[in-house]
Amino acid sequence: MTTVPATARRISVGIGQIAVSNNAAEVLVAYGLGSCVGVSAYDPVAHVGGLAHILLPESNGSAAATREPAWHAAAGVTNLLRDLTALGANPRRLVVKLAGGAAVLGEANAAKFRIGERNVEVITELLKQRNIRPCATALGGVKGRTIELHLASGKTLVRTAASPATEL
Amino acid sequence: MSIMTSRVAETLGEVATDGALRAARGLSGLVGEEIRIDVPQIRVGTNIDACDAVGGPDVIVFGAYIGITGDITGHVMLLFPQERAMECIDLMCGQPVGTSTEPDDFAASAIGELANIVGSAFVNALADRAGLILHPSPPTVLNDMAIALVESVYAAILAQGGEVVMIDTVFSDEKGTTSGLLIVAPDAEAFARIAELAA
Repeated sequence: MTTVPATARRISVGIGQIAVSNNAAEVLVAYGLGSCVGVSAYDPVAHVGGLAHILLPESNGSAAATREPAWHAAAGVTNLLRDLTALGANPRRLVVKLAGGAAVLGEANAAKFRIGERNVEVITELLKQRNIRPCATALGGVKGRTIELHLASGKTLVRTAASPATEL
Repeated sequence: MSIMTSRVAETLGEVATDGALRAARGLSGLVGEEIRIDVPQIRVGTNIDACDAVGGPDVIVFGAYIGITGDITGHVMLLFPQERAMECIDLMCGQPVGTSTEPDDFAASAIGELANIVGSAFVNALADRAGLILHPSPPTVLNDMAIALVESVYAAILAQGGEVVMIDTVFSDEKGTTSGLLIVAPDAEAFARIAELAA
């Protein structure tokens, strides 16, 4: 277990949102990823990190899909890398980790929509096009996950309803 | 512009009341004593509202999910925060509310069965009211982070506008009372059919 400094400020990254930071006192958290995927990226040299909470594999053409930075995979990956670069990160140095893409409503029901599975496929492909290979993942299964990125250490922790936080 | 008018909410409220009566009959038969189910409040909101209604994003809930297929498609989910779930098990076991405290496998499966009864009753009431053939899926028993469940339903309905209907569901017998949240997320066609009924 990693100890979070008492002063650490937890920034909640909601559905379709992105947060980037270079503040060592901050922890970026995406609570309860079900079929959503959390993309955590950290540049250990610049000490800059970011977290995207991606909802859908493709844009559904809605107003929210246009307005929100990580409503769908293509926007989420593009905007996360853009925001990290703007804060001084080098995309080539990024340590990228993925969590989520589960079938929390049951495997049989997930087969109809395959949203979690397709999120993972599309995000992985988008990262590959940018020569980024995730170095650790916690994907699939039937349980929701919470992912957090600690800016002080660059560590990414994942937990489920049944298990405590472990480093990814 | 919301696709959910007050007339549609009213119609869904009537369907929920009918479903609650059916579920109460089924549940009372199962546990061998009279259990009432009331649906005092129905409202419409986003996924975030639904999470808040069961206690916030980091809360762990018990319940069950039922998918609807057939003439229309949609999602039904009954969720209880842990404490409410324990109270519900007390009601089902005919013991004073506050007796059960451990959220074990028995609790999860009992709540799954309860949620199945209530969710299926709602689907059947909707089918009768709308004159539709609807097939509830086998239930998935849930014991997970509230937001992960709500978010996954939200992702599945998003192409259709993304509103969910929240129905407070109150269970009571002579020994006590407790409540859960029934979340209904019909797709756009389903909303249109219900709107026709409401007109």
